[in-house]
Amino acid sequence: MSSAAPEPRGAVATPATADVAVAVLTYNNVETVKMVAATAAAGLAQHFPGLSAVLIDADAGSSDGTPEALETAGLPLVVTHYEPPAGERAAVPFHGVPGRGEGLRAVFAAARELKARVCVVLEADVASVAPDWIRDLAGPVLTEKADFVGPAYARHRWEGTITRLLLSPLVRALYGRRLQQPFGGQQALSARLIDHLLVHPKWNWSGRDVSDLWITGAAIADGFAVWEAWLGPHAVRSRTRTNDLPTMLAETVGAVFTLMDRHQDLWLEVRGSEPLPTVGAPRAPLVEPRALEVDAMLDAFRLGVRDLGGIWDLILTPDTLGEVLVLENAPGPGFRFPDDLWARIVYEFALGHHYAVVHRDHLLRSLVPLYLGRTAAYVQVTRTATAQATEEMPEETARAFERQKPYLVEHWR
Amino acid sequence: MPPHPDGDWYKDAVFYEVHVKAFMDADGNGVGDFAGLTGKLDYLHDLGVDCLWILPMYPSPLRDDGYDIADFYGILPSYGTVEDFQKFLDAAHDRGLRVIADLVMNHTSDAHPWFQAARADRLSPQRDYYVWSDSDRKYREARIIFTDTEKSNWTFDPVAKQYYWHRFFSHQPDLNYDNPAVKTAMLDVMRFWLDRGLDGFRCDAVPYLIEREGTSCENLPETHTILKEFRRVIDAEYAGRVLLAEANQWPEDVRPYFADGDEFHMAFHFPLMPRLYMGVRREDRQPITDIFTHTPAIPPNCQWCLFLRNHDELTLEMVTNEERDYMYYAYASDPAMKLNLGIRRRLAPLMDNDRRRIELLNCLLLTLPGSPIVYYGDEIGMGDNVYLGDRNGVRTPMQWSDDRNAGFSSADPAALYLPVITNPTYHYQAVNVAAQEKDPASMLNTMRRLIAVRKRSPAWGRGTIEFLRPRNQAILAYLRAWRDDTLLVVANLSARTQPVELDLTAHEGAEPIEMLSGNRFPRVTRAPYFLSLGPHGYYWFRLERRERRPVRYGIEETAI
Repeated sequence: MSSAAPEPRGAVATPATADVAVAVLTYNNVETVKMVAATAAAGLAQHFPGLSAVLIDADAGSSDGTPEALETAGLPLVVTHYEPPAGERAAVPFHGVPGRGEGLRAVFAAARELKARVCVVLEADVASVAPDWIRDLAGPVLTEKADFVGPAYARHRWEGTITRLLLSPLVRALYGRRLQQPFGGQQALSARLIDHLLVHPKWNWSGRDVSDLWITGAAIADGFAVWEAWLGPHAVRSRTRTNDLPTMLAETVGAVFTLMDRHQDLWLEVRGSEPLPTVGAPRAPLVEPRALEVDAMLDAFRLGVRDLGGIWDLILTPDTLGEVLVLENAPGPGFRFPDDLWARIVYEFALGHHYAVVHRDHLLRSLVPLYLGRTAAYVQVTRTATAQATEEMPEETARAFERQKPYLVEHWR
Repeated sequence: MPPHPDGDWYKDAVFYEVHVKAFMDADGNGVGDFAGLTGKLDYLHDLGVDCLWILPMYPSPLRDDGYDIADFYGILPSYGTVEDFQKFLDAAHDRGLRVIADLVMNHTSDAHPWFQAARADRLSPQRDYYVWSDSDRKYREARIIFTDTEKSNWTFDPVAKQYYWHRFFSHQPDLNYDNPAVKTAMLDVMRFWLDRGLDGFRCDAVPYLIEREGTSCENLPETHTILKEFRRVIDAEYAGRVLLAEANQWPEDVRPYFADGDEFHMAFHFPLMPRLYMGVRREDRQPITDIFTHTPAIPPNCQWCLFLRNHDELTLEMVTNEERDYMYYAYASDPAMKLNLGIRRRLAPLMDNDRRRIELLNCLLLTLPGSPIVYYGDEIGMGDNVYLGDRNGVRTPMQWSDDRNAGFSSADPAALYLPVITNPTYHYQAVNVAAQEKDPASMLNTMRRLIAVRKRSPAWGRGTIEFLRPRNQAILAYLRAWRDDTLLVVANLSARTQPVELDLTAHEGAEPIEMLSGNRFPRVTRAPYFLSLGPHGYYWFRLERRERRPVRYGIEETAI
């Protein structure tokens, strides 16, 4: 990895130190980044008027004038450039930032340089950012209660299905903490956590970037205080994020599986889970009607069963595969996908990834029809449920992942 | 699920015929029971069937496998109790499965208290429940059905000192439906079970209820009058229940059993079944298409019931003598395989265990007009044992696993009601549910898939049929249409690869989507539509007219 030295820029003089570092990782985000920075500045003025602040931009090579747009955002600006992997410039990862891990590292280094007490990382394309986000993310760190604050969002019950049904239950079972948004985008870190991470010998790898997950996992495993902040709605406006479902699933789940491979120390011994301390008011899922193509999801699931049986045969145990085959023929309106079966499927895919029983990218993409089947069942069950009942369903799924974890551990060598 | 919500649910349903004694033995006495069957409901649900047809479950001396009923209000003790039946029925409804049961309306067992009272005392109220005569010369035009065992439809009872009338075995005296008390008694029987939630009856041997001199004593107008009375009561008191007629007759003779949609909801299409076998054996579609030209239209609220095999012999009553000889030649090489006017074999052995032919026949069963009935065990390709006598060879224990007694029972193997199949080809250690559940390409999973695909389109159960006439006679091709949905089935009846050109010009512009794979085929143009089919291969197409758009699920923007 390589990054250039931080470079002070913009209309406001950059101080040598700052209490708060607000960081954005950018890549052609000129449409939104100035609004994000201005909102952060407003939040700082509103909630932390006595604290000094600097905006850090880690730019992955924007060609649309993104860093320049930040010069007039109202905060002293430091721009740091880094060289993301060429492949990620060509096919930008799901979060819209090539080389996000290197970007984070560059940002943290700049924050340490500034001796910032807290570093708040915001997505450069988040359109729903509000001044209160600064209060809720930075507040627990500045009051020395938290070392890491991740986000929880107010979402519609059918938003975030990869997170609700897969990532969150899986990461919860791995880490033993009930993280709602393992890839939440926004976060705040204390100076001492940043110091710890920057010298951590295990933040050093090649290949798939798993920085976000590793940072959270390392913070939990090494005894730092991890919190969650309820931020409200999450909406992005991006030209670089993908909305190709198989890619999103393969990249996010692939990151978790890769982390499981590289950092067994973070999860292998963990059992059960506990909730995180939170700041802000929890929000029930929104439940207004939405049009989803459940039949198309079920068609994709059934097609997967027929076409991918050969691959799944290598990944799933005969018992699990037998239960999946039964589901193929279940009628649409009453279609159900048992949570324990789903958890076992995900764990067997993790094991298949670990042992490389088939090409890993094929393995990850062959999970897509199963995820669509699980999602279709979730949509069917929640269609007429109350917000409270809807909230309980992913909780049930998460408990199944915890129940099945001994099975995963037993088969992991 | 509410047990009886949709009036004409039977039009879309896939039925499953199951023998309680043969399915699962929970108490380990060697005979299947309702507790065992209840434990296997998840299997049936997963198979995808909608309605179970239970063979006779009533107390009986079992001289005709339960079709000789000795008490209409009870459950055969070896099957359990009425409470066990109720638990089973409730558990089936919980899974969205309906249940119909056999009801023998035509006769009772000679052990039934009605008959015992009738024969003992001429003045007994039950005397007139049966048909008596001082002579065995009445109704001579009525044929004898069980020609292998019965010489007459009359048997002299030494206690009653009269002859009694029986169309079936001599231990099964016919009820006298000229007596209004019999109708009332039978309606009370129906109410008893319908009150418990039963979804209907498969009514056994319905053409024979009434006798009249100078007639065949079959299909008489008076019989229809009685059956309509039953239907009126059921419609009035038990909405959503179904009556299925067993009338082994030609379609034009069965047609009156539908009447104006006010008699039976459903009736078996007996003549189609042997012609399916004939078509495959002769590699010629003519026997199949021909029987449909002789099948009259039925009222819109009625439905044919289609089947490949059942608990009886493969009946050849509804074929010509020449056709029967051909069927015996083709499918009953061993004389032990013949019984009455039929062949006592299961589907897989009839097909020489040729997986492609078995699948092809199931393909036709599931796509021709009507509601299909799957006979228990045929979904895994179970074999038979023609040496067990009568029709017992097709009523052997269900093969669940390679455990002792095929996982059917924990009893001493010698205590089983019938031995499990152990011949080398169909041995339960090779052919069983547990093994097939784990094999994506197994017969069981193929059946599950076929049933699931059938259930995705109401056109199979409700649509019109139009046969295409390609030059190649080995190809059976037909369109099924219902509202905006048009389906096309193309089947190769021959054991060799076949080309076919179909005239689909009426569907020009449509894109055929093969329903089992989801694969899209070239669009239909004005030119003949060319396909090639492997030996006994088949296609189920949906002719889609919509423009193709990229698949979107509505979750992509916010999935993470």
